[in-house]
Amino acid sequence: MAYKEKGTKRRLRSSYITSVISISLVLFMLGLMGLLILNAQQLSNYVKENIGVSIILKKNVKEVEIRRLQKTLDATNYVKATQFVDEETAAKELQKELGEDFVSFLGYNPLMASIDVKLYAAYANPDSIAKIEKDFTKYNPVQEVYYQKSLVHLVNDNVKRIGLILLAFSALLLIISFTLINNTIRLSIYSQRFIINTMQLVGATRSFILKPFMGKSLVHGILGALIANAMLSGVIYISQKELSQVITFDNVEILGILFILILLLGIFITWISTLFAVNKYLRLESRSLY
Amino acid sequence: MSESAIIVLNKATIRQADNIILTDVNLKIEKGEFVYLIGKVGSGKTSLLKTLYADLPLSEGGGSVAGYYLKIIKRKQIPFLRRKIGIVFQDFQLLTDRSVHHNLEFVLRATGWKNKNEIDRRIEDVLEKVNMGKKGYKMPHELSGGEQQRIVIARALLNSPDIILADEPTGNLDPETSDELVELLRDISKNGRTIIMATHQYDLLQKYPARIMECIQGKLVEKSEKLEETESQSS
Repeated sequence: MAYKEKGTKRRLRSSYITSVISISLVLFMLGLMGLLILNAQQLSNYVKENIGVSIILKKNVKEVEIRRLQKTLDATNYVKATQFVDEETAAKELQKELGEDFVSFLGYNPLMASIDVKLYAAYANPDSIAKIEKDFTKYNPVQEVYYQKSLVHLVNDNVKRIGLILLAFSALLLIISFTLINNTIRLSIYSQRFIINTMQLVGATRSFILKPFMGKSLVHGILGALIANAMLSGVIYISQKELSQVITFDNVEILGILFILILLLGIFITWISTLFAVNKYLRLESRSLY
Repeated sequence: MSESAIIVLNKATIRQADNIILTDVNLKIEKGEFVYLIGKVGSGKTSLLKTLYADLPLSEGGGSVAGYYLKIIKRKQIPFLRRKIGIVFQDFQLLTDRSVHHNLEFVLRATGWKNKNEIDRRIEDVLEKVNMGKKGYKMPHELSGGEQQRIVIARALLNSPDIILADEPTGNLDPETSDELVELLRDISKNGRTIIMATHQYDLLQKYPARIMECIQGKLVEKSEKLEETESQSS
C-alpha cells in the first residue's frame, strides 16, 4: 500500500548517499594528506639516519682497540648504530661495485678497515656532523672521518623545502575540501528550498525547520568521516604490508588523533555548511525562490 | 479600532516588490465574520491575503491581524501570527517530500504537539472533515488537484485557528464538494472563527450569502448589497 512513499524515500536516500560519498571522498583526501604529513617526519628521519659517516681506521690497529672504540661510539647519544667493516669485506664490496678484481690487479689491498656510523636524525645536519667529525678524529685509532658533505646539505635543504610545500598543499586541500562539501550541501538544500518556504508558511519557527536539517547533516558528516577513516585504514594496512621499510604507522596514538580530527572536521564542515545554506532560504522572501 | 475587529487594514498599500497592486485599502473584519473576496484574475486578491499572513510586507498604511501589527511585525513573530491563521493556499504548498499524514503531522509538531496518539487522532479528524479519511498514506503528487486542495483545507483546520484565509479553495472541486466545503467553512465561522474566502464561483455567493469585498481597479470595495440586487434582478 505504501510502496510509493517507499519509492520516493529510496530515491531521496540515494541522493543522500551521493552526498555522503562525496563528503567521505573529500575527507579521505584530507586524511591522506594528514598521513603524508605524519609520515614526512618519519620519512625524513629515515633518510637522515641513512646518511653514513665512515671512520677510516689506521692500519694495524688491534682488534681490542677497535672493539673498544666501537663501544665508546655506541655509548654516545648521537650514534644510532655502528658497523665494523674489515679490509677484506671492504675490498669485496668495492669489487662488487666495480665489477673488477682490483686486488689481484694491484697485487695488494689498498683499502683500510673502517667503522660505518649511522647518526640519529636530530644530529644529521651539517653543523652537528662537523662537530661530531672533530670528536671522532680525536680517537687514537682513527685515521680520518669521511662523509658526503654535499649529501647532508642536500637532504637537509630538501626536507625543509618538502615540509613547506606539504604545509602549503595541505592548507590548499583544506580550502578545497571545505568548498566541495559546502557546494554539495548547498545544492541539496537548494533542491529543498520550496519545502523550507512551505514550512515557514504553515507557521513553523526557524529553529524548528532547521533542526531536522542539522540532524541529517550531523549524520552525514559522521557517516562520511567514518567511511573516510575506513578507507584510510585500508591504505595504512596496505602500505604497512608493501612499504614497511619506508612507511610505518606504529604510532597508534597519532593515528587515533588523525581519525578523530577527520571525524570532527567532517562534522564541522557539514554542520556549518548546512546552517548557512538553510538559513539563506529561511531569510529569503517567497518570491525570490523562483 | 473596535475591540472585536480581528483583521484591520487602514489606508494600506498592497504591493509586490515595486508593483503597487491595491491602494488605500480599508478593511475591518469582526470576529466570527464570513467574508467573500472577489475580483478578476490578477486583481490582487492573493496579494491582499499574502499581506494578511505577512508573506508580503506592509510598507504603507496600517494593519493588524489577530493582535499583530503588520507594519512592525518582527521576523521572529511571523510564525506565531501564522499559527493564528489557517491558510488554504491557491498553490497548495504541500510538502512534496512526504505523505499527507506526515504533512499534517509536521504542522502539528511545528506548533507544539507532542503526543503521537493525539496527533494521529487530530489528523484523522480533519481528514474525515474533508472526506479524505483514507488517503493519509498517499504522497501529494499521487492526489488529484481537488484532493490536494482538500488536504490543504484539512491542514488549515488542524489547530482550530481564529482566522481562516482561503484562496480559491473551491477552484479544483466539483460543485457538490464545493457546496460541502462552503457549508463546512460557514459552520466553522458560526463557532466564532473569522473566514475570508477568495473565490470566482459567484453561484456560491448567492447560495450562501455573506459579506462581499471586491478587488477592482486597484481598490478594495465593499459590495454586499449591490451584488445581491444586481444578481436578483438579472435572475
